[in-house]
Amino acid sequence: MGSVLLPSTYGFPKQIPSPSLYSITRQEESIVVVGEKPKVSPISPSRPPKQRGRAMPSIWRPSRQADYDCFSSATPIVIDNGGSAFRIGWAGELDPRVTFRNVVQRPRHKTTGETVTIVGDHDPALMKYFDYTRTSHRSAFDSNVVYQFEIMEYVLDYGFERLGANDLQVDHPILMTECVCNPISSRSKMAELLFETYGVPSIAFGIDSAFSYKFNQQHGICTEDGLAVCAGVTTSHVIPFVKGEPVLEACCRTNIGGYHVTDYLKQLLSLKYPYHMSSITWEKAEELKMEHCYVALDYASELQLFQKGKKEAEEKTRSWQLPWVPPPQEEAPSEEELARKAALKEKQGQRLRDMAAAKRSIRISEMENELHGLKDLLQQLGQVEETEISSILSKTGYDSRQEIESAIQKITQSLRKAKGEPNETEERIDASLAEKYPLTNVPDDMLTPEQLKEKRKQTFLKTTSEGRLRAKQKRFEEESMREKQNQQEEEKRLENPELYLEKLHARYRELSEKVEQRKRLKTNGARTNGNQNLSGGVGRGERLNAAQKERMRLLTTAAFDRGKGEDTFGARDEDWQLYKLMSKDNDDEDNGQEEDEAELARVTARLQSEIQRTVPCSFAAGMASQSLIWLASLYTRDLTSFMVWIILQHPKDWLDIFLYLLHKLDFFEISAWIEPTE
Amino acid sequence: MEPEVVNSEMLLPPVLPFKRVQMSDKYPKGHARGRHWKHLKQILQAENYASYPADEPNYLNIETPPSIYPSKKFCDITGYEALYIDPRTNLRYANPDVFKRIRMLPDDHVQRYLALRNAAVVLK
Repeated sequence: MGSVLLPSTYGFPKQIPSPSLYSITRQEESIVVVGEKPKVSPISPSRPPKQRGRAMPSIWRPSRQADYDCFSSATPIVIDNGGSAFRIGWAGELDPRVTFRNVVQRPRHKTTGETVTIVGDHDPALMKYFDYTRTSHRSAFDSNVVYQFEIMEYVLDYGFERLGANDLQVDHPILMTECVCNPISSRSKMAELLFETYGVPSIAFGIDSAFSYKFNQQHGICTEDGLAVCAGVTTSHVIPFVKGEPVLEACCRTNIGGYHVTDYLKQLLSLKYPYHMSSITWEKAEELKMEHCYVALDYASELQLFQKGKKEAEEKTRSWQLPWVPPPQEEAPSEEELARKAALKEKQGQRLRDMAAAKRSIRISEMENELHGLKDLLQQLGQVEETEISSILSKTGYDSRQEIESAIQKITQSLRKAKGEPNETEERIDASLAEKYPLTNVPDDMLTPEQLKEKRKQTFLKTTSEGRLRAKQKRFEEESMREKQNQQEEEKRLENPELYLEKLHARYRELSEKVEQRKRLKTNGARTNGNQNLSGGVGRGERLNAAQKERMRLLTTAAFDRGKGEDTFGARDEDWQLYKLMSKDNDDEDNGQEEDEAELARVTARLQSEIQRTVPCSFAAGMASQSLIWLASLYTRDLTSFMVWIILQHPKDWLDIFLYLLHKLDFFEISAWIEPTE
Repeated sequence: MEPEVVNSEMLLPPVLPFKRVQMSDKYPKGHARGRHWKHLKQILQAENYASYPADEPNYLNIETPPSIYPSKKFCDITGYEALYIDPRTNLRYANPDVFKRIRMLPDDHVQRYLALRNAAVVLK
């Protein structure tokens, strides 16, 4: 593809030691050895030891170089554009002049509001002047490919500026590094940036690890056939070399790099010490990794070392002390707070009550007024003669005296209710019924046609009100019956708890079976019928309980023409009696089902309350030192809280007491829940 | 601008002499600032590597497939060699003390340990 341009193919002086050196440091980015030299990667011995330990100084502001002008236009500038660090320097030198972290931040100045650009790391003491809330470290890289050229431009600006550039353009050829098989669009944009914005005369791109290998080969550290393993910050590459040339067709990339290692360390530490999660940042983890971690040459044996706890393991462990932060205490609301809140609630309640009382008094006064008016009217009617009655009545809107009286009744009743007095008894109502509908008792032939109409109205009203009364009575009776039943059951339970419980269980089982069976019949019938006979009627699957089967049978036999060739069902009156048979069946079935289900619900509720009642009984007995069952009545029915308390607090000798009691009451399954805590 | 900030030289000057086009001209304020940079996925898609001959290395075909060898199992908590797996949580552990710790872990910690291994249950 022609993308890899080794120095030898490009018209540069043959000896370019510096770029190779820069790329050597790349191998150290994620694998740092403290004190020990890794035997894998070749390192030139002339590197100062300080830089070997820390490939990425965390706070390092490079100073501006002053000797830019000393270099002629022919001297190339070498740039190592790496995912973690950006290095720039002159060709022919041993080390890059300027190194910094390849990130950009654009905070806003707090007072002036302008957005400034900071490339690389900065002194954290100066952070206070800037607002960092909306910014974060931005990198030009996505995995190992440059994609954000605005940020790349900031970085290049800073790099050139630190190198001391002051001409009208950067008038030196540039050698730049890129990733293996860099996509063409990325490379072309980079070239465009360098040519057009910086006025660079010529550019060369190359792979950093290849440069490094060539350098080492020239210095005799490695042979011409070998393997270059390059561990980057987001990716790692393996490039084979044959006869000094890289075989790009055989090179491989894995998307694991130093970033993932740091991330893993951070997650592990956060999970092990969740309390300190805020102190374990990515930067801190990176620092830990760089300063204190090492690469094991034989992982299995190192593991054994640590597992057996030998002395070397002790030497290799580090301890990190974090500042102690007191746990955040939730303040219990103080007395004043509580008092204030209570007062507020009182006030609100009072206000609501006042409003309700005001409404009620308004209504009462209204009703009283009305009552007065009606009573006056009545009086008037009493005093005045017959003829004028109708005229007066038409004015007020009431048709007859009785209406007025009934209206008065109603209002007095509601008035009484509003005032909070008890309702009148039913006898009074019975009496008033007879009074209200006087015409009902009078036989038909004695009345005029209008009175007949009246009578019909009144009979109708009477029957409805009687019906309502009857319904009320029935309800009352039912309630009293239920009360009686409950009382009976209570007595039964108190006499003989175990027997009662057994009977309850049996009844529960019976009822549940019945309900299940019925359900099964419904669904089973539907299922089988659907499977067998799909071509039949659409709704056939639904109509399959016994009553409905019966109904279908009746219908089909009825409609069956008796050999006459015509369907004459319905011609005779007796045919329609068929329907009477059918509907009766239906109703019975449904009613029976509902009753059963209601009883089942009742029985289950009872059972549950039984269980709740009996169990705490026994535990309470235990805690009260083997006697005093009466204490059970004092304990709550909340089973779970009781259990939890027991599990957390009982000392070992209580355990025996518990087990003994449980034994006595046959609650074997519960004993398994108790686990002794240490 | 505060003097110490200026002295520390940490800010990038807005105008640089060696540039033909300054940043403020290239990315005028108020516009989208060229924010529509294509991400790696889009770059690779646009590259259209299918049209190149398949034996030439390009960004996509130098990526290695996952390993065919079974991996060595390490304990999720301690990092020692994991000889056992907890059936309830599927965490790997090395010895009974670690097992005790595992059983006392809250559920989200368990999921995070598993996520470190890409073994967490993801409910969609």
